[in-house]
Amino acid sequence: MLLLPSAADGQGTAVTHALISASTLCQVEPVGRWFEAFVKRRNRNASASFQELEDKKELSEESEDEELQLEEFPMLKTLDPKDWKNQDHYAVLGLGHVRYKATQRQIKAAHKAMVLKHHPDKRKAAGEPIKEGDNDYFTCITKAYEMLSDPVKRRAFNSVDPTFDNSVPSKSEAKDNFFEVFSPVFERNSRWSNKKNVPKLGDMNSSFEDVDAFYSFWYNFDSWREFSYLDEEEKEKAECRDERRWIEKQNRATRAQRKKEEMNRIRTLVDNAYSCDPRIKKFKEEEKAKKEAEKKAKAEAKRKEQEAKEKQRQAELEAARLAKEKEEEEVRQQALLAKKEKDIQKKAIKKERQKLRNTCKTWNHFSDNEAERVKMMEEVEKLCDRLELASLQCLNETLTSSTKEVGKATLEKQIEEVNEQIRKEKEEAEARMRQASKNAEKSTGRSGNGSKNWSEDDLQLLIKAVNLFPAGTNSRWEVIANYMNIHSSSGVKRTAKDVISKAKSLQKLDPHQKDDINKKAFDKFKKEHGVVPQADNATPSERFEGPCTDFTPWTTEEQKLLEQALKTYPVNTPERWEKIAEAVPGRTKKDCMKRYKELVEMVKAKKAAQEQVLNASRAKK
Amino acid sequence: MAAIGVHLGCTSACVAVYKDGRADVVANDAGDRVTPAVVAYAEKEEIVGLAAKQSRIRNISNTVMKVKQILGRSSDDPQAQKYITESKCSVIEKNGKLRYAIDTGEETKFVNPEDVARLIFSKMKETAHSVLGSDANDVVITVPFDFGEKQKKALGDAAGAAGFNVLRLIHEPSAALLAYGIGQDSPTGKSNILVFKLGGTSLSLSVMEVNSGIYRVLSTNTDDNIGGAHFTETLAQYLASEFQRSFKHDVRGNARAMMKLMNSAEVAKHSLSTLGSANCFLDSLYEGQDFDCNVSRARFELLCSPLFNKCIEAIRELLDQSGFTADDINKVVLCGGSSRIPRLQQLIKDLFPAIELLNSIPPDEVIPIGAAMEAGILIGKENLLVEDSLMIECSAKDILVKGVDESGADRFTVLFPSGTPLPARRQHTLQAPGSISSVCLELYESEGKNSAKEETKFAQVVLQDLDKKENGLRDILAVLTMKRDGSLHVTCTDQETGKCEAITIEVAS
Repeated sequence: MLLLPSAADGQGTAVTHALISASTLCQVEPVGRWFEAFVKRRNRNASASFQELEDKKELSEESEDEELQLEEFPMLKTLDPKDWKNQDHYAVLGLGHVRYKATQRQIKAAHKAMVLKHHPDKRKAAGEPIKEGDNDYFTCITKAYEMLSDPVKRRAFNSVDPTFDNSVPSKSEAKDNFFEVFSPVFERNSRWSNKKNVPKLGDMNSSFEDVDAFYSFWYNFDSWREFSYLDEEEKEKAECRDERRWIEKQNRATRAQRKKEEMNRIRTLVDNAYSCDPRIKKFKEEEKAKKEAEKKAKAEAKRKEQEAKEKQRQAELEAARLAKEKEEEEVRQQALLAKKEKDIQKKAIKKERQKLRNTCKTWNHFSDNEAERVKMMEEVEKLCDRLELASLQCLNETLTSSTKEVGKATLEKQIEEVNEQIRKEKEEAEARMRQASKNAEKSTGRSGNGSKNWSEDDLQLLIKAVNLFPAGTNSRWEVIANYMNIHSSSGVKRTAKDVISKAKSLQKLDPHQKDDINKKAFDKFKKEHGVVPQADNATPSERFEGPCTDFTPWTTEEQKLLEQALKTYPVNTPERWEKIAEAVPGRTKKDCMKRYKELVEMVKAKKAAQEQVLNASRAKK
Repeated sequence: MAAIGVHLGCTSACVAVYKDGRADVVANDAGDRVTPAVVAYAEKEEIVGLAAKQSRIRNISNTVMKVKQILGRSSDDPQAQKYITESKCSVIEKNGKLRYAIDTGEETKFVNPEDVARLIFSKMKETAHSVLGSDANDVVITVPFDFGEKQKKALGDAAGAAGFNVLRLIHEPSAALLAYGIGQDSPTGKSNILVFKLGGTSLSLSVMEVNSGIYRVLSTNTDDNIGGAHFTETLAQYLASEFQRSFKHDVRGNARAMMKLMNSAEVAKHSLSTLGSANCFLDSLYEGQDFDCNVSRARFELLCSPLFNKCIEAIRELLDQSGFTADDINKVVLCGGSSRIPRLQQLIKDLFPAIELLNSIPPDEVIPIGAAMEAGILIGKENLLVEDSLMIECSAKDILVKGVDESGADRFTVLFPSGTPLPARRQHTLQAPGSISSVCLELYESEGKNSAKEETKFAQVVLQDLDKKENGLRDILAVLTMKRDGSLHVTCTDQETGKCEAITIEVAS
């Protein structure tokens, strides 16, 4: 048994020091109903303990009962019970000030109070005259209670509450004071929501999420408002099933209509609000600004990147240029150096040569005979030309340091050596030439008729024939072979095959050999004509290469045009060739004439060849 | 609405259903209230329960036992390794997971431990449906306190695969407390409970604190080397030595003979819990020789006394570990089949002479009943996920008030115990002599059992100018409310005059 002590004098309620330790976190077992209760309480964020909360609830309910004050409805006594549909049930029960917010308990209490006051028996007792039948206004009270005590009927009545303001503010009304205009409207309409916790309109500073949630809630508004109270026909009054069905159908249609109107109303309200909402405008602008900023940033980034690329490219170019310059410089330097070196060497060699010549001169070219001296001079000149600097120096050295006789011997020996070298070189060159011609022979004699040697004349003839009968001629190689057989002076019979292989080998011939052939042809030409026109040196080769090598070849189109022109301008046309040249664009009069001549020649040759082929075949037969 | 509670142990499983405000264990199709957690794989079928257990003599390599020990463990877990070496059914690692290799004749089948658990859960579900109908699938499953997240998940998944809708996994000791409804009727007050669970293979002890109807595990200890199987083993060894004595033959090396002896010993052990003696009779145990042996309870107790001592020692250790003496324990709950052993109960009673053992519910049914009750609480509730709210704020220290006893010496009494989930309110009616005109409540805070010292006084509440009363006591109503942060509000009211004093003490920051 513990007893509390008494307080000493002067002692009062006081805190000596604060509690030392705060609460600690403990792991508990998720078991049992108290745990569930605890978690539930915590999730509701109840600050007080469980018991306290319950106490408070009870208290508040009691106070509500006390507070209930009924407002007397002044028109009550004049009400017509037959017109109950149009009466305001809340007002009749004296709950006009609380209306839809009235609790069931309040309604019950109000009804009780009204009954105590207005029941006919009570009034009779009070000496009030009572109307007979159903006409007494008390029926209205009963009806009102009947409507409001049944949750379904009460909801129906609440839905068409006559005091509810159905109006929707227009857009123009809310231009300046959006929140003042729309806030109460949404507040008012939120009572129709099936869902609890209707989001508030908020204010200018509401976050985007809040605003979004608000509009998505209202665009998907789920209303419990229904219009069965306004049914014109009463189902209960129907006499038979069919009539009841008909009434029901009618009612359903009107209800649906009204519901639709209601939904339209809400929709209009939300639409109006949405279009007027300054926040939406703000968000849109922000969004736009953001997008633009992003775009800008992107462009900026791109630009920067490009710049960087350009810079890099330029740097690279610069580097390359520098490197090139450097290289060039180096090359130049080297060239300069080489040139200097060369100059020096040249000078040295010149000097040495002079020296050699002088030495030779001083020694009178080792001879007294004039002819011998000239020969010696020639030889010395040769030496000067051919000898390297080093050997020249060496030679000079020996020449200057020794006596005339020794010098002469050395010089002669040197001259001999040089001559030997020259001879050798010549021989080598010849050998090389022979080898090359042999190779050519071999390649031509590949097809087995090496015996059929091609003389220069034959080759010339072949080339001429090939040029005469260009590719595309009918049985070209036979014609060429025939031509060769007729015109050849060697009398060797050649077949088309031989001709082809030779022509091919000619085509394949290296330029050296071609030159060889050309030279030979030229020699022959010289022989035949006796004169050597130096300026015309290129003519044979030109011919060999084929006509108009200097000019662009005639295309088929130009050829066609030319033929057409030739036909249109007959031979007797004045200034025929000028006109023809005009008809062929890109060609001069000279070109055209030349081409014409060629063509004529070709045609003639062809004809001749064909005749010969015919003759040959006839002869064979 | 009906709900189910399932306890899956190492050796046996048990199911209870919650229906019409009551939780009851359901007997399985064989009429047993506890089903052996054994699955035998035959050529074409899987056998669960008693039949599987009985057939293990011939089918030992294809019989999966103690699946709970390996469930949700990986191969590098020492517990799993120990299990693998002991298991008669080969366990191999495949794709990083442990599998049972079951030889079904032609080919080797690899079975998940989860699949084995699923089969057992399916059996339990069938059993529950035999009384509830097939639409009741909401279940609460118990797990040992030392189960890790992986094991819990594996067990939950297995139950889910069996078609259960798992409401929650709860710890076995909590389920045991709930089965006895400890702390559920009046949520105020604080008590310490020892849960003694001696299962088939392990002994697990927990000290629980019940405060405001909420359970907390203060300390726990599990010993895998004591369990019902060890008692059976001891008895079987004794029987083998008896056989050797009479027939001069050692059967210990013969696995089949030992298995027969084990089965017989188990039956004998069960009957010794109720009878004074039990008879073991085995036809042709070895080479056609029958074996008949009578074991008295005293003999059994003598044989097993080292094991009993181990159990008692474990309790002592746990109390030491948590800093309690035997007097601090208010109740002892017995669970697990082996807690039925009368000698063991006697020894525990001797250890806690002042208190009563709670064993009115059969010990092997306590846990499933608790689970079923929890399922009954949870069913129809939403937001069952509580993982994040398992940590709750509790008061750190006892709040005491100083008074004097009849002899005039100072005494302290606890007004607001430590470990109370916050926020909380405690209400006490204190008494003061009527002859004094003022009353002083001196409030102290203290930790543990050390009585408050003078410097721990943190506040006093004084009621003055009270009406004097000749001979009699006046009642002072003291209400202490603590918020989640630990700040305390104290209101004292004199019941007669209605005089009131209030004070708020903040936490030193």
